[in-house]
Amino acid sequence: MNNLHFKEFFKNFLFDLDNFITIYDDTLHVFNFNKLNKLSDTEIVLTINNKIVKIEGENLKIKQMTKQELLIKGTLKKVEFKYD
Amino acid sequence: MINEKIVWVKIKTKNYYSILTKLSDIGVTLYDNKKNKEEILIKTTYEDYQRIKKFLISYKIEIVDTSGFLKIKEIIKKYLVFTLSSILSVIILILVNNLIFKIDIKSSNKNIQELLERELKKAGIKTLTLKKSHQKIEEIVNNILDNNKDTLEWLEIKYDGLIMNVYVTEKTILKKEEGYDKCNIISKSDAKITSLNLYRGVALKEINDYVVKGEVIISGEITHNEEIKNNVCASGEVYGEVWYKVKVSVPYNEYYIKYTGKNRYNISFQIDDNEYLLFRSRISKKKEEKTLLYKLNDFSINLLREKEYVLSTHKLSEDEAYNKALKLAEEKVKLKLKENEGILYKKVLKKELNDSTIYLEVFIVTKENIGEVTQVLGGNQNDPKLNNENNE
Repeated sequence: MNNLHFKEFFKNFLFDLDNFITIYDDTLHVFNFNKLNKLSDTEIVLTINNKIVKIEGENLKIKQMTKQELLIKGTLKKVEFKYD
Repeated sequence: MINEKIVWVKIKTKNYYSILTKLSDIGVTLYDNKKNKEEILIKTTYEDYQRIKKFLISYKIEIVDTSGFLKIKEIIKKYLVFTLSSILSVIILILVNNLIFKIDIKSSNKNIQELLERELKKAGIKTLTLKKSHQKIEEIVNNILDNNKDTLEWLEIKYDGLIMNVYVTEKTILKKEEGYDKCNIISKSDAKITSLNLYRGVALKEINDYVVKGEVIISGEITHNEEIKNNVCASGEVYGEVWYKVKVSVPYNEYYIKYTGKNRYNISFQIDDNEYLLFRSRISKKKEEKTLLYKLNDFSINLLREKEYVLSTHKLSEDEAYNKALKLAEEKVKLKLKENEGILYKKVLKKELNDSTIYLEVFIVTKENIGEVTQVLGGNQNDPKLNNENNE
């Protein structure tokens, strides 16, 4: 069991398999997203692994973006997860 | 990001959210973005900019700003002409500051001038060549002085802007007195001898004797019992009374300049002997004072101060005009006199007056050195005619 954990940790360390969402006051940081499905000033829809993440708010704007990461600014109201 | 070339890219679009979705689809990294009315500005890498151009072909895309090396490259490209001309100007300025435009040899002796020109040329100093270092100049000066020990006493080279001034002192070689083997002292003019100091030779005249121009006063022939024993170069000092008749005229109306206090300034450009004014002169009667502002070879720029004046007249009284005429006559004679010579006596011989002018004829007696050394070539050396010819 311990061996298995170590293997997972090492794999994750090397290939950044983990994904997470960090929410600050007016900022939302998404790490390791797959696709940006929808983008508007009130709604952002993302695919992360097999989950659909729906972010709702006001004046939503993408501040920074890379292939893996997304930094969203605006007034956040709701973050919703849906499984495919 | 440190080594990446970062650019600000402008994309023409009204739909901010649609373009960002597309940028996410093609995997563009976005460091920052700004939304304007009909465009979006994104901060991304140069590689991503190329990708955007490749995939989003229907959009109008252009780089508006760059950073790092790209920015420097852009600035150089933008200000290429200015940058090049600035660099060129600096090079020209350095070059011009280090060039010799004129060599000014401070000597009135033409031979010395030519000698120094030759020597400087030999040392590689010519006009329109680069200035030499202080050390090199010192070396050149020492070489020139060594090569011309008999002619040059002292030499100094100094730079004054673009002009190289060469200060020189010639070596003075004391000449043998008059340089003649046989000579007489004759009278320069008709006179009455008042003093005679004999240093060498035989005095043929005495004090209070009258002499005519060219007559021998001290002879170089040493005779004994009417036989010539030796020939020397006569030496001595002979002073005598010389007479002059001077005619002068003085008008009663005397004109003098009165400055009005009105001044005008102007700039003049002088090229060779031609002078051009920057502004038209508005003063008809003026005196100009010139101040040199800039000079380069035969081109100079001067500041002119034009002082307006009016001519005023002053009518002299008869006495004033008489005294002025007398003074003028004296001054005319004094011009011919040297040190230890002067006016002994004066008398007005004739005085004529008319409405506007006074005429005087003045007799003036002076004390002058009347002796003049003349070389004896042969024949009868005491003959005034021959001496005059020799002298001429």
